[in-house]
Amino acid sequence: MATTKPRLSSFSRNLSAVSSSQTPGVKCGPNGTMFVSSGIADLDRSLVMVMEDAEAPHHMLLLRNFMSQGLVHGQPLLYASPSKDPRGFLGTLPSPASLKHDKSRDRESEQEKGLRIAWQYKKYMGENQPNFDSHRDNKQDYCNEFDLRKPLERHYFTRQRVNCVGIQDSKNLAALQEHCASFLAQHQRNDGSCALAGRIAIQSLCAPQCEHSNMDWEMLSFIKSLKGMVRSSNAVVVITFPPSLLSLSSTKRWQHMADTLLSVAAIPDEDKELAKLLSGYQDMVGLLNVHKVARLNTQVPFILEATTFSIKLQKRRFLVLECLNQAPVDGSSGSSYGTSGSCSGSSKAGTLDF
Amino acid sequence: MADTICRTLRDGGLEGEHAPALTIKDSKASPFGFDVFNYVLTQLSNYILAGKSQSRGLVVVAYSRSPSFYVDLLKRRGIDIASSHDWIHILDCYTDPLGWKNWLIDKDISQEASSLSSFCQDVRNLDKLYSLIIEQGKGLIGQGKDRFSIAIDSVSEMVRHASISSVAGILSNLRSHDQVSSIFWLLHSDLHEIKFTSVLEYLSSMVASVEPFNQAAFGQRVDLENLSMLEQNFRKGKFHVRFKRRNGRVRVMASNLHQFCLKMK
Repeated sequence: MATTKPRLSSFSRNLSAVSSSQTPGVKCGPNGTMFVSSGIADLDRSLVMVMEDAEAPHHMLLLRNFMSQGLVHGQPLLYASPSKDPRGFLGTLPSPASLKHDKSRDRESEQEKGLRIAWQYKKYMGENQPNFDSHRDNKQDYCNEFDLRKPLERHYFTRQRVNCVGIQDSKNLAALQEHCASFLAQHQRNDGSCALAGRIAIQSLCAPQCEHSNMDWEMLSFIKSLKGMVRSSNAVVVITFPPSLLSLSSTKRWQHMADTLLSVAAIPDEDKELAKLLSGYQDMVGLLNVHKVARLNTQVPFILEATTFSIKLQKRRFLVLECLNQAPVDGSSGSSYGTSGSCSGSSKAGTLDF
Repeated sequence: MADTICRTLRDGGLEGEHAPALTIKDSKASPFGFDVFNYVLTQLSNYILAGKSQSRGLVVVAYSRSPSFYVDLLKRRGIDIASSHDWIHILDCYTDPLGWKNWLIDKDISQEASSLSSFCQDVRNLDKLYSLIIEQGKGLIGQGKDRFSIAIDSVSEMVRHASISSVAGILSNLRSHDQVSSIFWLLHSDLHEIKFTSVLEYLSSMVASVEPFNQAAFGQRVDLENLSMLEQNFRKGKFHVRFKRRNGRVRVMASNLHQFCLKMK
């Protein structure tokens, strides 16, 4: 994804002179869109859905990073979960990676450094560089790396910033819908300016212990209305759900509703064949697939160069996503898949830290 | 391999973590799930009595067998029930699950069993059942930070009287209770829609499936060619276990069911 060049065509919205945003973590992008940086391209003002794997908690890793990043940058958060004590989950949010860790990576190339920042911005660095830098001087450096072993400081969890909602005991989704509506109303997007961005994280929306989990149409209707609300706000919504607990037709509908669709998958332990096929298997805990990426206000599709990433925990602390590039079959030398598990340079160009 | 499962239940969960949960799944093609359940129950009881497990007590939620069955089962396995008041309690959801006989106690229950067990007379009310289980469990372990384990002899029976979401709710709440060390349950997968089986697999950290020894023989017409294969299915079985590890990987193990496990009837 990092190597994709921006496509400009007659379908792109003309960008009038919009001053760069004063709000930290918010940037102007192409096609008249405002980007809330969530560390991943094209998530902003959109509905991101993550398909869980029933056998692994990797969606929780993504949620933790997403939520921490928002809180660290002062973005209000609404978190909904089927657990009895949703607020308890905040204690597992990671803290930004320490400076010591950052210094050890300074030795890496300039190209990589740029990619470690919310990498979508690299495309727009040219015209907006001075303003972006001034923000960095004044505020918390934009943070993409989190240390999973160090919990986030409690002062980030004030009730003004974080609203936690339990969805297990409600009879239906009306209460959650109301919470989302009032949260998003506070972050309405006004033309030409934008207020502080917000984040909504909904974990395991169709969890079986929730009464609404067998109300297929109610859940779909909720997602549709949430998607509509988020379009007119400065927020991003991430919903995780286990597709194995939905009917096939419902799963398809949910997938269609998503602006951006990701899935996580468990990998078998001590699998010798997989170890031969994938280099770095020892460090992998799972896989991330990108099925669809949001493209707002444009008809130009986003063609992904890589759709499968391995999920690794570097030193058991830092979430790292790496492109999974299998070596193409080389007719001349007779080498095949598995002999060079990752293309040379892929670990540099493809590293997605968030 | 069954011992690996028992050890995982014995070791329990870490602080702040959900308790390990085991689904034992069988079907009519290989109906040995209950034998596996009994084996796990016996092993866990041994660990508790020897003081080797994280849990100090065991609550058995008995839907498909009477409490006296479990008393006899443990007696046959050499477990001393003279001191059984300390560490085990059986919630009787078998005798009178809907409260039809709630004005008299069934005289067939032996005195020993009745002192170890208490009645649940409304299995439709899972909130009440949850409270009963927790209350009995706390009664076994007393005050303090000790934990107890829970065995449910059939969630297939449980879901007959309650909705899938309420069964999922009670299992999830039990798993996340601070004082529950581990929990395991039996499921007859062919009695339910795939969704219910998927729900239970989603809620478990280990899924042990009992499958026919000769998969191909099941469901075919009985004739001389496959008769011996079918006979084998009634004496042997295959055992597949999927462990969800803490690091997010899945460990898969397979073996044959041991003969001695099948003798535990």
